[in-house]
Order: sequence, then C-alpha cells, then structure tokens
Amino acid sequence: MPKRYLKSVGAYLPHLRLDRKAAAAALGWSGLGGPKAGRRSVAGWDEDALTMAVEAARGAVAPNSPESVVFASTSAPFRERLQGGILCEALGLSGDVSAMDVAGSRRCAVSALRRALLDARGDTLIAAGEKRHTVPGSSLQLAWGDGAAAALVSDDGFAELIGEATLNADLVDIYVSDERPAPYQSEERFIRDEAIEMVLAPAIRQACGKAGIEPADIAFAAVHEPVAGTWKLLAAAVGLKAPNLCEEVAAAAGDLGSAHALFGLALASERAKAGDIVLVAGFGSGADVLLFRMTAAPPTNDSVLDTLARGVSTANYTRFLSLSGALSLDWGPRSEVDQKTAASVLARHGRDMHGFVGGRDSRGNVQFPKTAVPVSPDATGPEQLEDVPLSDVPARIVSIATDRLNFTPDPPFYFGLVQFDNGARVAMELRDVEGSAPRVGDPLRMRFRIKSIDRKRGFRTYFWKAAPAERPLLETV
Amino acid sequence: MASGIRDRVVIAGMGCTEFGERWDTGADALMVEAFEEALRDAGIERGQIEAAWLGVALDDVNVGNSALPLATALRLKNIPVTRVENMCATGTEALRAAVYAVAAGACDIALALGVEKLKDTGYGGLPLRTKGLANDLWMPYGSMPGAFSQLASAYTAKHGVDAGDLKRAIGHVSWKSHQNGALNPKAHLRKPVSMETILNAPMIAEPLGLFDCCGVSDGAACAIVTTPDIARGLGRNDLVSIKAIQLSASNGWESQYGEWDGAYVRNTREAAKRAYREAGVTDPRTEMGMTEVHDCFSITELVTMEDLGLSDDGRAVFDVLDGTFDREGALPCQTDGGLKCFGHPVGASGLRMAYEVYNQLLGRAGERQRPSIDLGLTHNLGGAPANSIAAVSIFGRLD
Repeated sequence: MPKRYLKSVGAYLPHLRLDRKAAAAALGWSGLGGPKAGRRSVAGWDEDALTMAVEAARGAVAPNSPESVVFASTSAPFRERLQGGILCEALGLSGDVSAMDVAGSRRCAVSALRRALLDARGDTLIAAGEKRHTVPGSSLQLAWGDGAAAALVSDDGFAELIGEATLNADLVDIYVSDERPAPYQSEERFIRDEAIEMVLAPAIRQACGKAGIEPADIAFAAVHEPVAGTWKLLAAAVGLKAPNLCEEVAAAAGDLGSAHALFGLALASERAKAGDIVLVAGFGSGADVLLFRMTAAPPTNDSVLDTLARGVSTANYTRFLSLSGALSLDWGPRSEVDQKTAASVLARHGRDMHGFVGGRDSRGNVQFPKTAVPVSPDATGPEQLEDVPLSDVPARIVSIATDRLNFTPDPPFYFGLVQFDNGARVAMELRDVEGSAPRVGDPLRMRFRIKSIDRKRGFRTYFWKAAPAERPLLETV
Repeated sequence: MASGIRDRVVIAGMGCTEFGERWDTGADALMVEAFEEALRDAGIERGQIEAAWLGVALDDVNVGNSALPLATALRLKNIPVTRVENMCATGTEALRAAVYAVAAGACDIALALGVEKLKDTGYGGLPLRTKGLANDLWMPYGSMPGAFSQLASAYTAKHGVDAGDLKRAIGHVSWKSHQNGALNPKAHLRKPVSMETILNAPMIAEPLGLFDCCGVSDGAACAIVTTPDIARGLGRNDLVSIKAIQLSASNGWESQYGEWDGAYVRNTREAAKRAYREAGVTDPRTEMGMTEVHDCFSITELVTMEDLGLSDDGRAVFDVLDGTFDREGALPCQTDGGLKCFGHPVGASGLRMAYEVYNQLLGRAGERQRPSIDLGLTHNLGGAPANSIAAVSIFGRLD
C-alpha cells in the first residue's frame, strides 16, 4: 500500500470567548451550569460550521489544490445544499473538485480523514466546523465551543500514517434528533467508563498493534474525550504517557465536536518534532484511530497556538446566549428587514461572491465586483475582465464607521471602504473589531462570513468581511 | 454649445407646509397645502399649470408609485405629470425637470412638487433594502449616520484635525441650525439647544452624536416656474430667477477605484463647478449671500463648505468655529434651520431649500431675514459620500 501523509493542517476559532466562571456565576442561583474554568469559544452571529471550516481550510490548503474536499459537521446549516461545494468556491477551487458533506456523529471528520488516508488517491482536504445548538443550564453549553479544523492528505507531507483502527459501537453518550434538536446526554460516569472499555482502549490497542508500537511510544495525543476525565483513566488503562492536546483545546475553547480531534492534531503537529508519534482519535458511536510519525515540520500559515491565545474575552452571559441562538431578543422595527435572496442572482454571481473574485481590466486595474464597463476612469466601453481573487490580498482601511443605529445582532455595526494592495476597493463590513480601535490606514485581513440570514425562509448567503489583521492576545484566566 | 438656463426661468410662486410629525394629515393634504400657497403666491389658477413633476424618494414607505398621487391630490387637468426620484436629491430633480421644460419652451408654466409622508410608517431613516439585486450578495447595509461618519474618519486622517476640534465644530453646526430653526414657524424642531447638550448627546456613529444627525419629517414643498415675460404679465416685478441647476452623480469611482481619499464629496465639487460657471459666479465666497446645504449630518455641512469652495480644504473646522456660517456671519448657512431643524421630508427637501432662498431674496424671511442678499445657493445631496448624487442650484434676482 502506498504511503500516505498529512500535508498540512489548519485550525480556526471565532474571535469571542466566554469566560466560563462568569457564565457559571450567572447560573449560580439555579445550581446548573457546567465547567467553571477556562473559556468557551463563541461564534459570531455571522459564523456557522461552514464559514469556520473555510477559515480552517484556508490555513491548510494554500498553495495546494486538493482533488477532493470533505466538509464534516454535525451542525451543518443546510441539509440540502452541498456545503462542501461552497467551501470549494470559497477556497477558489475549480468546479471539478470532488466535494461531499459528511455527518452522522462527531467523529465524522476523523472517519473521513481515515478514508482519505487509506482509500483515496491524490490530495484530499477534510475541513470540519461546528456551531452546535445547546440549551442554557445544560453542562454541554459551557463545555462545548465553536470552531473548526482542517487537514490535507497527500502522497507526501510532514506526518506519515503508520497505523489505524476503526470501531463502531452504538454507545449513546449524546444524541440529537429531529424531535430533540438540543443534545441529550447520558450519565457522565457511564459514558466515561464505557467509552474507555468498549471503544477507545480496544481501538487504540489495535492501531498500536498494526503500527508495531507501544502506547508509551506516542509523544502527543489528540484524543476526543466524550467527557472530561476520560483521558486520565484511558491513559492509565492503555499505558499512554503522552499529553492529550484535546484537553488544552477543551479548556481554552471547548469541545469542538467534529473539529475537536483535528484541532488537537493541528496543535500536536505544531509541537511535535521529526520522529515523534502522534495519536489521533475521533469519538462518537465508536471511534476512528490514526497514528502518525512526524517526518518534518508542517507548513504553517496561522499558528495554532496563536489561534488559541488570541481573541477577546467576555463575561456577558446574555450576549453569549443571544449570539448562540439560545435567547431570542426583540430587536424592534429596525430588524424587520426582508432578506430574501433571488436564486437566479445567486446562481449568476455566487461563485464570485463565495470566492471573492474581482476582475482586472485591460489597463491593469482590479475591481470588485466585475462589471461590463470597468470602473477605470479611462475605460471606453465593455470588456472581459480577468478573474482576480481578493481573499488573500492585504488590505487597509480608507474610511470606517462605528454604526450604532443600524440593526446587527451584535452591535455596533462596523463598515467602511477597504483598499486592497492590488488596487481593488470595496465597501465592506468589518468584523472582529472588538479589542482593537481601527483607524484609517490600519491593515485588514479577509474572513469568510454569513452575509445575510433570511429567517423567514430559513436561508443564508455567504460573503467576505474584513477584520483587523491581528487579534489581541487573550489575558490568562 | 449649450448656453445653460441662466435667467431663462423664474419662480412665479412657492409653497411649503409646516414640516414635522404631521399626525394631522396625509400625503395628499400635504401636497394640497403646499400647492395652494404657491398658487396664491403666483396669482394663477390651477388650470394654468401645463406640466408637473412630483418628487417622492421613498415610494415603498408612503406616497406611492407614479405621478398619480400628485395628479389626483391636486385634480390636475390631465396634463403630463411625471414622478422623479434621485434619493435625497429628489426635490431638486423635480425642480430641474420643471425648469428645463419651461426653458425648452415645451410649456409656459410648470409645477415641481416634492412630498414625503414618513411618520405614519415608523420609518426612522434607515436605508431600504433592495430585493434580489446582486448588490444584496456583498454590499454592507449600514445606516446613513454610519455612511456619513466615514467622512469624518477620512477627513480627520487627511487633515490631521484634532478630534476635539472636529467634535466642537460639528457641534457648532448643529447649534447654529437650532438657533435658526427656533425662528422658523414651519420648522420641525424649534428649540435652541446648548453646546453642552449637543456635545454630551448619545453617540450614533462616532463622532456623530444624536444632535449631529437630522431626523426625517412629513412635509411638502413646491415651486411654480415660468418665463420672465409671463411672470411680468402676472404682475410680478421683483422676480427670483434660476441662475443655475447642476447635477452630478457617482459612477463608482469613489467606492470602487483606488483614488478617492474619502474626505470630500466629489459630486458636490463637480456640480458646484458647473453651477458657478452656468450662473457666472467667479468668487462664491464674496458673491454668494447665503447657502442652504444638505446638512443631513453636521459633518456633511462642514465638508460641504469646502466642497463648495466656501472654505479652504482642511479649514472648514475653523471657519465654522469662527461663526462664518452663522446667521449673523459673513456667509450664513441654513437660515431656516436646515434639514437638522426645518426637517427632512426627503422628496421635498430640495424644494424647501429653494423656498428659503426665495423668501430671503424677496425679503420675506421674517425674523431670519438677512440684509442685502443677491445670490443664494442650494445644495441637495442624495446617497452617501461614496455613492452620491449632488445637485447645486443658484438663485438670484432677475437682472
């Protein structure tokens, strides 16, 4: 069998983190809550599993171009609309890239990764994102977080697959159904003990056996714990000595669902040195286990450690509830806006919107969107513009507004004129501004986001928004 | 080469309703109220109107599509009536159409009427969304205070103006308009407001506080225009002439091409340049007796002073603070209270501005009257600085 490798990895967390201690204090009167230490990551109102997966994939893909793409999530915004296809467009991939969505359990991303390593040919991107619905009072609400991670599989790379195992078990630790859209969790000690006994220990032992290594040989682990404390008992039972980096992710951002093990893998890739063995385990209705031997340092776009360490913290529990959809506020007449999207318009322009594709005219000027007659002052008539993607082009603020009148689910609404280094100029919404004081001339980076949500018809569109080029460092909790 | 419209058309009569929260009436009655005043002023019968233009900016909100609301409300005699719309510059567009019709010789007497009835719907000035346009897929929909506050961010960066100086200057703009509005019996807001109140008001879009933003109003304004000869035939001797009406519209250069610095409104400069040429004005600072400009936000008025050539670039902050544009200043601006205090029934505002200049030129402005005004300018701005439509008109006595 040909050797298969991880070629690159990526990870993404939203800007905002909820201080769990503050949330626990808000719930203190009830005796409900969940974990009280650390933070949970909170997706912006305009982020969902897909947008975050795109951001993680941007860290993993460039400048590679995969032949197939898998979008993995248990909280995908659409059941009928291929999100893997939108992901391809956002990454600027051509229309003939094989795209599919996977779900079913939160180990779906690691299952897809295992298949890409064992079965697929060529480069395959797995991008997992999660923004899961939870109910206030449930311990899962504070234990879970929103985020994404991605991995690119290839015939060469920085980490070689040396062992694997898969095991199905209908161990119902949590479930979500049409009748029960919020997760229902079983008793935690039952989950912990049976997950080790029935699933994780045998699968890890099997993978180690296939790789011809001992569990103690593993340098770093990225094992998705079904509940906190599982790793400690599992390590003792199996003889694992490695730190489980998924515990760090859970403490700093929360359990990221389908993205959790991949996020831990991205973190492990950054820390491990050549020769180190890394264990990855996705959990949910069984487990998929992968063992890699590091052969080199991974290519880096964004530092995964930085992703964990940067953002802004909030102690505002009601803001979190509103952003997560657990609290429905009456925003008044200003919010009474019909956001219906014309499907024909989306069909005409969707690829350019998702890919942030502008055009270069015959004089060399770049503009967005493309128009029949270019915006260049000396243009004389219609012409065909050459496609120019803008999502990775450095940009700066020309003018900016902090708008406290316009409706947005997370005021204030920031927007302004953005000047790209290649000459394009675009009026854009600015996001992730909290924690910085943006001024004219400040550098920006582009983020893939929800543009509009049509709540009446249950539809959403996607576009790009500008964000400060660098996030502030979080203070240590 | 076109010779322009200077002195080819005069105002036979004007009318303007009281602006404000007109819970007492609907759009049809507002139109009638303004029109009846204009008819009395002109001394003509309604049957003498040969063509009419209706300016309504926000048809989805209040008055309705087409010219029928005007034709029906005034019971016009099956004459050609056309509705025009160019965002907040709509009122001047209606006037421009009527003036052009008379100047072209297509008719002898024409009517321009602008109206807006916003308060019944709870409309608060937020932009209306388009439906199904490609723009919906990418364009940010901010509020107008947000769009114009960007002017302040870019202006501050370009000219290195101290943020405190700018805040005081834009505060003075609004303070002055409240002082003037208090003397205007038709104004929406007739209460003087202290600088302390203005500077400490809640923030809407930095640096624009509550008093830096005009609201929207109900109201109507209109003009009956004709030729100088016909006006004299009607017994009018003291004639107010249209010296120039010029319009300039964005083509995407500001928002899509990488040259504009965001610190001025290009279309105001273009329209002003053409209007001065059409009117034969060579030195607006000394020739212009007054201005009524589109003070939708205080920063707009401040920057407009530079765009009209009435302040040097980067100096309007100091000219404003020196009182140059106060009612008693060298070049009074918004003697009627402006959009800020007279009010902003969007489709009527351009005609309301003309109404104040007309009254000042005829010495009818009551307590607000300024002595010896020979030329007055209106500046009516639609859209936002990055995508605008600017109309600049100049009025004066017929030579």
